[in-house]
Amino acid sequence: MLTTNKLYFNYPTSPSVLKSINLELKPGNIYGLFGKNGEGKSTLIKIMSGLLFPKSGNCTFNGRSIQQREPETLQDIFLIPEEFELPSISIKAFEHINSVFYPNFSKEQFYNLLEEFHLKPQQIISNLSFGQKKKVLIAFGIAVNTQLLLMDEPTNGLDIPSKSQFRKVMAASVDSGKCIVISTHQVRDLHSLINHVIILDNAQLIFDESLDQVTKMLWFGRASSTEQTGLIYSEGAFGGRSVHARMDKEETEVDLELLFNGVLNEPARINQIMQNNDHGTRV
Amino acid sequence: MGQGFSFQRVIQFIKRDLVLLRGTFLTGFLVAIILVFLFCLLNMVWDQKLSLEEFYGIFGIIYIPMGILFTFALFREFGNPKTNALYLALPISTIERLVGKWLTVSLIYTLVLSVLALLVGTVAMAAGIILFGANFNLLTLFSESYLTIVGTYIFVQPVAMVGALSFSRNKIGKTLLAVGIVVLGFFLFNFLLYAMFNHKLGVFDEDGLGSMAFNKAGMDYSIVGRWFYGFIFGPLMLVVAYFKMREKEV
Amino acid sequence: MDFDNSKPIYLQIVDFFYENILSKQWQEGSRIPSVREVAMMVEVNPNTAIRAFNHLQDLEVIYNKRGIGYFVSNNGYTTVLDIKRKEFLEQNLPNLFKQMSLLDIGIEELNNAYNQHKNEEE
Repeated sequence: MLTTNKLYFNYPTSPSVLKSINLELKPGNIYGLFGKNGEGKSTLIKIMSGLLFPKSGNCTFNGRSIQQREPETLQDIFLIPEEFELPSISIKAFEHINSVFYPNFSKEQFYNLLEEFHLKPQQIISNLSFGQKKKVLIAFGIAVNTQLLLMDEPTNGLDIPSKSQFRKVMAASVDSGKCIVISTHQVRDLHSLINHVIILDNAQLIFDESLDQVTKMLWFGRASSTEQTGLIYSEGAFGGRSVHARMDKEETEVDLELLFNGVLNEPARINQIMQNNDHGTRV
Repeated sequence: MGQGFSFQRVIQFIKRDLVLLRGTFLTGFLVAIILVFLFCLLNMVWDQKLSLEEFYGIFGIIYIPMGILFTFALFREFGNPKTNALYLALPISTIERLVGKWLTVSLIYTLVLSVLALLVGTVAMAAGIILFGANFNLLTLFSESYLTIVGTYIFVQPVAMVGALSFSRNKIGKTLLAVGIVVLGFFLFNFLLYAMFNHKLGVFDEDGLGSMAFNKAGMDYSIVGRWFYGFIFGPLMLVVAYFKMREKEV
Repeated sequence: MDFDNSKPIYLQIVDFFYENILSKQWQEGSRIPSVREVAMMVEVNPNTAIRAFNHLQDLEVIYNKRGIGYFVSNNGYTTVLDIKRKEFLEQNLPNLFKQMSLLDIGIEELNNAYNQHKNEEE
């Protein structure tokens, strides 16, 4: 659906933010885009929505260059930026003036989501809190039913009950034709939603694997001190949580935070283990 | 290329702008109504009449500056880094955006303000007849001065558009400054050309002829300038605006 | 739903189904929530929920009526009971025995504790 090829980007007067990024996003998935602050997550998302142009390489959506910002392309991409301002009109008016541009917009879905988020169509957007504004935009972003939905730090500014609401809403809105990319550094908020992990570090793509593959190849947990075979990365002094090559151990749930730290510390080893699927689980 | 053109989308885009800037437009028009009324009334105090030329003089004083202010208002969303992400990501092609904005600030704006000014002018005249016994004079749109003013605006407005697209802060000031510099440069250029081609007149020798040369150069400028503005500069600025919009990144 | 960190989420969803069936909240032959509803309820990716449904279908705890939804099998209760009993005997008990020998707790002590617990319940 979305493909980037040798994507390179830098801002004027600053070193490269993205170097040679090759990605292939497919429908039916929720991608988690992780990286430390300032590692190019937002930049990549902006390139994916045509707001920034790659300095070299390209970024295409269904074969069309996104940079051209053709209406046919943009109709199927929606971005929820991390920071934004919405006009001081009612939610209803906001929906009215913007939804007409999206052929797959569902009015019913939008107003149901507003209800879910405890918002009323008559409310004036400028009187809402930042978290509520974000919910308006999230509801709108889901209801436009674009093939690609990009969210930059969507849970920033949401309180704890709202984060749970957000996960519920997201879980209900995925379908096989949609592709969702969520960029975040708050890995915990979303771990049950994501089924594919992309990690950026040092301007490079250092990890790009589905969680199915991760559970197949890696084991997460507290290993006893005698069980050091296949240890890749561990946290804490003793009995800390650690990542191992799974080998023939039981399947475990992926600990995204641990995986993230493991990848940042041992990118080469983890990727080598991930690639080993043909030879069983040898390390 | 931001290709594709759908008239439907242009109309929806215009509607969107009108809703978003409802407040600005309403305030602007209200101020215009009050000003036109007051100016017309004051005009009649002295000579008890309001000629078409006088009326369109008043109209021009309000029409052109306000149109330029509206142009800047229309591009506020485009320039603000907190709103332009959502704005640029809207599925509307660049040409549709340009046509939409242009129609709003030239066609729609001119129509609305003309009709309003005409109505207010007529009301003011009625008031003038009652208060100062002014002579009745039918105000119509069929006047050469009206066409000149609208024509001037149509070709000046794209400059404001490019200014609004180019500068991120103090847009109006910077645009005026840039226009001033260009006009000054153009004027000097004309003057030099005139002086060189007519050096036998001794433009640089005698003060008297020098000032005459200035006058002539000024006249030359106005002819060349009109031609330049009218047929090249305006449309050229629209083309510049198109590329500014197309190449805009957040 | 709070997740236990080590067990795969889909298996935790399966456990949630087992509980509902064993406690008779979901009767045999009755309709259960859809994949989407379950995904929403527990806030997970629908793919994870599908995995849980497929797992339960393979074990013949639930079945799918095309176009209508999922239902608890007619002998769903006994199937789950068998599974959970087996799990208890094969996994929980050995763990318990291991702990008992580590802490030096004999079977009589366990027996007494069990009887006491029973009495308190009555």
